[in-house]
Parts: sequence; structure tokens; C-alpha cells
Amino acid sequence: MARSTTTTRSTPKRHPIEPGTELTRRAHGPARAALLALAALLAVLPPAVSAAREYLQLFVAEPYLELHTGPGRGYPVFHAVPRDESVDVLFRRTDWFKVRTERGVEGWASQADMLKTVLADGSPFKFELGDQAGFSSHRFELGAFAGEYGGANLISAYWSVSLNPQMAVEAAAGQFLGRFSNGESGDLGFAHVISADSRWSPLLLIGVGIVHTEPKATLTTPENRTEQTAYVGGGIRYYLTRRFFMRAEYKAHYIFTKRNQNEEADEWKLGIAFFF
Amino acid sequence: METGNRVLLLTLALALLPGCATVRGWFHHGKQSQSADTTQAGTPSGTAGPEEETPPRVIEPQVERRQVKVPRIKSSNVELGAYYGALSIEDFGTNPDYGFTAAYHITEDFFFQGEAGRSRGGRTSFETLSGNLQLLTEAERRFTYYDLSLGYNFLPGEAFLGRGVAMTSAFYLLGGFGATDFAGDTKFTVNFGGGYRVVPADWLALHVTVQDHVFQTSLLGVTKLTNNLEARMGATVFF
Repeated sequence: MARSTTTTRSTPKRHPIEPGTELTRRAHGPARAALLALAALLAVLPPAVSAAREYLQLFVAEPYLELHTGPGRGYPVFHAVPRDESVDVLFRRTDWFKVRTERGVEGWASQADMLKTVLADGSPFKFELGDQAGFSSHRFELGAFAGEYGGANLISAYWSVSLNPQMAVEAAAGQFLGRFSNGESGDLGFAHVISADSRWSPLLLIGVGIVHTEPKATLTTPENRTEQTAYVGGGIRYYLTRRFFMRAEYKAHYIFTKRNQNEEADEWKLGIAFFF
Repeated sequence: METGNRVLLLTLALALLPGCATVRGWFHHGKQSQSADTTQAGTPSGTAGPEEETPPRVIEPQVERRQVKVPRIKSSNVELGAYYGALSIEDFGTNPDYGFTAAYHITEDFFFQGEAGRSRGGRTSFETLSGNLQLLTEAERRFTYYDLSLGYNFLPGEAFLGRGVAMTSAFYLLGGFGATDFAGDTKFTVNFGGGYRVVPADWLALHVTVQDHVFQTSLLGVTKLTNNLEARMGATVFF
């Protein structure tokens, strides 16, 4: 049996509620067995929540804590945990926490309600909220762009790891589709955020990359080529809401070719990204 | 090229210098532990300051301070899975279609989804009527696509299985862009559609999805937008 973290206020576990109260049971019994079998057939990995974990125990400080049937405001409230009773936090999905009460009832509590719970020592429960403060100082970014690369349509995605609020290491991968050639590009570089605390901020970008070009057969030089690149660029990011922000950027790519002259390619793109 | 190099070097300097100047600790997530150290250092040996002036306590509390360990709360926002269905490729008939999806749930309303799938174009009616004529080679008939979409959940609800089981469910809208590799060319593709998700367990979801993949092609002589409708079922696992 999974246990709460050790506290003097911990209450011994009672047995789960009687089978009569159906609303509080979610997908048990034969259905669950069937689904497990299905999962086995699909050769999926172990479930997200393993049983042998130590859970955080929180105490309800408001008159009650509402539990919803699902992780969203639209799912109905089916249970209320009274003041001073505790819940174990099983896991989190977006802004919702799956919790288990002392009586074994499992349900979803909203981020806003969880902010009003306290730890066993009476101190408030604090966690990362995914608001503009989090935007100013976050760890990871993931985003998708549409744009133009040397005159061709570009589809691109990027992943960024922040070293500190101002500096980040970024990796981007893109595919460009044009009238004369198709190809893929990959970039790795640094991004410098000028003003991390504000909603709008300019960015400076620098790095290296690789580009693979496949000219269309109608041209005179149809052989595919892979070349190294270096880029400098700039951009702008704008915090939208929650975990979302917009990002527009320009990169000037210098393509180091094996031919007599190096080439240059401009990349413009606009996209949506989120942080976590 | 010389101006190019100059721009490169200047921007390097511009990017790195203010970046380094604003660095307070390379890994800003260590900040909290630093502040914790300073508060600990301040507490012992109450020799100076206002602590001397406070009167001695009449009752010494016998309560031991509890040490609350806050374990990391597991996040379960990533959804990986596979699907199987049918794809109607314009002019090339309806064929089986399969692929993989990966999604990240950002808020209760929105998720990002990437997917990659494969199908196969059949024979056009022109090919069927004209006997042995082949418009495409076997390799060119392979229909491979990927896309990046933003999803929006709406109509949250519950699905009931008998008296004892309630599963949460939701409809969702999908829209995005990607690329399709078909008939010897790769085309920029816009996709949009919707689906229904049932969540029988916290870690498992079942999907029914209908999507349209739209791209421009001039394969049959005239340049036109083709609509390629897809209907599929899938299973995903939350991580």
C-alpha cells in the first residue's frame, strides 16, 4: 500500500468505501481487467502511476475541498473533503491534481483549490503555477512554427532548455518545401532573452546547423547535398496566457558549400510555443 | 562574405556579453537553496540584536517541530499512442492508414499533438479503365505524412459502462500543419478535424478521430487542392 509522507498528523487508512456508492469508483472490476488486457495487447509501457510511491499529504484548510470526476472545470463535483481531513496527492495533470482522501475516494482538485491546502506543519502548499511569473523563469520550451526558408514553405519545431532566465540552449528542426527544392534543416544554438520579466521581449539568436537539400529533378544539378550552416538572428516573444506565448523570428543562415561560393538563406517564421 | 563574418562576430558579441552580465548563477534553479543557506546561517548564537531584549519565556513549549518532506509530485501530461483507420486519398481510393501520436497537455483546454502516419494510394479510375496503364510506381503510391497540431478540448463529460463504471470523456478539435510525401513529391499540408476521447483509467485513453489533410497537387494535370479524409481509432497512454 502506498503511504503518505511521514507526519505526526497522519491518520490511519480506512478501508475504501462500500461498493454501493458508485460515483466514487472509477473504472474498476471487469472493465479494468479488460482494459489491462487491451493495454497488454498493445504492448504498452507500465502505467503512469505506480503504486509503490510515497505521496504528499495535504490538509484541507478551507471549509471543504471539492473533488471533480475529471481534470477540468467542466467535470462535475462528486465529493467534498471536509476541513482538517487530509488528502494524498497522487499526480498532477495540467492544472489539476489527482488526490485520494483518507477514506480512499479518488478525485481531481483544481489548482486554485489546492493553493488553499496546507502541509502537515501548517505551512501553505506552494507549487509552480504556469503563469507569467513562471514564463519569466522557466526550464523548458517547446513550440511549432510556420514560415519561409529561402523562398520555400517551412514547417519547424524547437525545444529549448533555459540556463537562466536570459540564456537558453535551443535545438530546432525544420522541413522546407519549395518549387525548386525540398529539404530539412537542423539548428543548435543559443538564445538570449533581453528582457525576461516583461510580456514582450526581443531575442538574439546565434548557432550552427546542418541543411539537407533535395533539388527537384527538373533542375540541372539534381544531386542531393548536405551542408553545414551558421546563423545569426533575432526575434520577439510575447506572453499570451497561461503557459502559452507567441514567437516570431528571423535567422540569416550562412551555408558553407563545397562549391566556389558560400550561400546565404533567410528564414522567417511565426509560431506558438509553451513553457514547462 | 566579409560583411557576413562581421555581422556574425558582432552579433556573437552582442548576444553573449549582456547574457553573461545578467547571469547570477548559471543554473537559476539553484537560487532557492542559496537563500535557504543564508537563513540557516543567520539563526544560531543569539548574541546581538533585539533577541537579547525579549523576556525569557514562562512556558517552554514541549512541541517538537515536525519535519515535512515534500516529495516531488509526478506530472502526467504526455500522451503517446498509436492508431489504425482508413484514409480516403483523393482520386486514389480509400485505404488502411496507421500511425503514431504524441501529445502534450498544456492546460485543461489545450494540447499540442504531433503525429506521423502511413497509407497507400490505390488505383485511379483512369488506371482501372485503361487496363495496364500505371500513373505511379509502387514506391510512389506510399502515402506518408506528419503534422503538428494544436488541440482544444470541449464538451467534457462522462461515459457510463453499466452501473459500476464511469469514464471521463471529451470531444476535441484539432488543427495544424505538416507535410505529406506522396507520388514522388512532398507537399505542405494543412490538417483539421476533431475527435472523441474516453479515459477508462488515469493512464489510458481511447480515441476516435476524423481529420482532413489538405494539400495542393498538380499530379493529374491541373493544380488543385486535394482533400484526404481520415477516420481512425487509437489508444494512448499517459506518462
